Amino acid sequence: MSDHLGLYALLAPTFILLAVFCLVPFVIAFATSFFDYEVGGDAKFIGLSNYLEYFHDYTFLQSFANMLLLTAFSVVMVMIVPLVVAKLIFSLSSERASYFYRILFLLPIVIPNVAVFLIWQSVVYSEIGLVNSLLKAIGHGELARGWFSDPRTSIWALAFIGFPFAGGINILIYYAGLTSIPDSVHEAATLDGATGLKKFVLIDVPLVMSQIKLLVMLTIIGGIQAFEGIYIVTKGGPGFTTTVPGLWMYFNAFKFQRMGYACAIGVILFLLIMLLTVINLRYFKTTEQLQGQV
Amino acid sequence: MPFIKYTILAIIIVLSIYALMPPSNGAGQAHLGSDPNRNKDKPASVKYVIRFNPGPLYLPGVIPENSKKPIEGIQKVADEFEKLYPDTRVEFLGVPGDVREWLVTQLSSGRAPDVIQINVEDVWQDIQKDWYVPLDEYLDAPNPFVEAGEPGSKQWWDMFKYPIPTRGTMAPNDKMYCIVLDMIETGIFYNKDVFRRLDLSEPKDWLEFLQIQKTLKQNGYIPLLVDRQALSDWGVDLTFDQMYGELRDLLDLDYDPNRGEYLHGYLDWDELIFLHRKGFFSKNDPRWRELWRVLKDWRQFMSQDLNAIGTDFVRAFMTQEGAMYWGHSMTTNRLLADKNLGFEWGIFYLPPIPQSYSRFARGKDQVVIGGSAMQYSVTNSAYSDTHDPKTSERLKRVMAFLQFLTLPKNCDAVVNEQIALLPNIKGVEPHKELLPFHEFLQRHYAMTKWFYTFDLQFDEVLERQLELYLNGGMSEDDFLDWMEKNLDNASKRIISRKELDVERFEKVWRERAEMRKKFKELPSVAN
Repeated sequence: MSDHLGLYALLAPTFILLAVFCLVPFVIAFATSFFDYEVGGDAKFIGLSNYLEYFHDYTFLQSFANMLLLTAFSVVMVMIVPLVVAKLIFSLSSERASYFYRILFLLPIVIPNVAVFLIWQSVVYSEIGLVNSLLKAIGHGELARGWFSDPRTSIWALAFIGFPFAGGINILIYYAGLTSIPDSVHEAATLDGATGLKKFVLIDVPLVMSQIKLLVMLTIIGGIQAFEGIYIVTKGGPGFTTTVPGLWMYFNAFKFQRMGYACAIGVILFLLIMLLTVINLRYFKTTEQLQGQV
Repeated sequence: MPFIKYTILAIIIVLSIYALMPPSNGAGQAHLGSDPNRNKDKPASVKYVIRFNPGPLYLPGVIPENSKKPIEGIQKVADEFEKLYPDTRVEFLGVPGDVREWLVTQLSSGRAPDVIQINVEDVWQDIQKDWYVPLDEYLDAPNPFVEAGEPGSKQWWDMFKYPIPTRGTMAPNDKMYCIVLDMIETGIFYNKDVFRRLDLSEPKDWLEFLQIQKTLKQNGYIPLLVDRQALSDWGVDLTFDQMYGELRDLLDLDYDPNRGEYLHGYLDWDELIFLHRKGFFSKNDPRWRELWRVLKDWRQFMSQDLNAIGTDFVRAFMTQEGAMYWGHSMTTNRLLADKNLGFEWGIFYLPPIPQSYSRFARGKDQVVIGGSAMQYSVTNSAYSDTHDPKTSERLKRVMAFLQFLTLPKNCDAVVNEQIALLPNIKGVEPHKELLPFHEFLQRHYAMTKWFYTFDLQFDEVLERQLELYLNGGMSEDDFLDWMEKNLDNASKRIISRKELDVERFEKVWRERAEMRKKFKELPSVAN
């Protein structure tokens, strides 16, 4: 033990900070979820009442459906678009061009998300924004609308923020996966007659499965936790058409001051993320596991 | 080649270091709130540092829309105050994001500013927690800074120019929790050039108003720019008053003469809850149904997007895409600032709804809904020295500064530094551009404020579901169901939080049985 004291000392700050800022708050939140607690008021123990109330909350079904839709949409997008773009960049014969495009696609990550949401809201989707102006210009002014105000389009307008979903770090992760595929595999596939799309689907995709798995998991976690963009753009409206559980948790905690209730929602989201992570780890195979099966 | 590479790298590093260098003395003075260096050389004799949030409009350093000069009026007032009280410093600070969300965390941790600008209805939500100081004893006493014979020398109350709306900020527990420095009011800004071109004039009643909007729409304009919050706040309350105006004396169950004429006919939360239990504000209340129908009928003339964050409605008005904008006196500032506006504009108030449009309306003038603007509440931080407001010297200083602030010359220096709000202190005239709002403010006040009466959860549901209903995402019956559920839930919460006894109105309700017979179409269970 004494031999390792130095190592423990090096690790200690990380563990202490992790405990103070992540683990302890979680334990407090878990405990608070059993109380009727209003900030500044008295806390009253109510057992599982907050949980039961949430299952009957008027936002429950719709907000989970919205979260599911937005997350599923993001997962599909993250599995397809960045991978295709990474493959296109990877296929470039010029190293200089490849480098240029990697930088180009990475650049948008320096823009804060808040700015991105505000740009989409005011420049793209607003009443006098890009989409409506375009529709009017091509003679389809009757289709112009308040994209976030119209309950038929609000959730989809939200989902499409970030279109064409090609920027960011995802491309680099896929690109790294593609570079790690040995040339011999591609050569063997070519000898076997596989070219173009066939080679991409049958060779590249299975061999970047570790990257896909990582990104899918991160997207699911991000999708379940996300609310800040929705808060900025629609605040979950009109009605509750774009409300997600994370947003309702925020409203309950800081607007309605129902801290116990908000903690219960938080715990439910935590359990959901944990469940999906376990499923992902258990049933979604990595490249290495796939190779092991061969 | 490597030489060029390293040269570029060196330039980037040098520029980066330069950009990160702290500003030298005399440069880079931009800051919001008090100058951070101001109290650095604070003498040892300074015993009290008052932390004051003056609201976004008066925060030193803010640059108004009609000026390049940062706001400094309130800082100058503080400088004068500090000369009178060398042991005190006033420090101004801004509030990040939503004031109430921030304030709750600050109050619960005991770190709130001593004085905070917040809508007093938000204060009402938390008065049972002793987070705020009741100010009645100060308002009933003379303002010590006022000379004998001047308004305020007998009672601080006498200094306020608009006493009715000022007293209207009194909480349902009959206590005052704020000092109102200025007034705001709503109005419809309209493009006079467009009106002239289309041969339109200011409407005298609702039917004319709708006809004007129809004409504007036919001519390719967005007739009325208004956002969802204004609709669910002002729109609901003003239309409610038009529908229920004739019932004012019947429904006001708790007229308290101490609260003044302003609250004659005003419905507090306990009255609304009792009346709801008697069938009002439900699907069975024809006036309630009519209220939402009127708003829905009006919706067709508004912008497609009701979300003000997505569309800058003032800009859309200024670029003449919209011919009218329902805003408030603060909008004036921005319109005046644009020297290249290219059109003449005017202001009128929302016209009355005639009986020919709605059987419940009586064609009476619309009431006002704005009123008090900057509302300064004193938090429990102000008596943190003794934890007892009766013995706190610090609280005395805080109150002294508020009293000093309401002197006419000081109010003038603060409020009239920009063309936005109307001074609420006698002897201080508003900017001439704001005189239409001064006239509007002479009207009676709304019967209730649905958006602020209950709690934020009620407001949230009201705003969201009203937008959904108005945008065709929900039927009228579904919307009324939602509102009923919302009112039921809010009633339960508020009764539990405030320990209200609404049954006490039963007696007066029985006594008004004869009065009720005079009115048609009351909810069936109301009798």
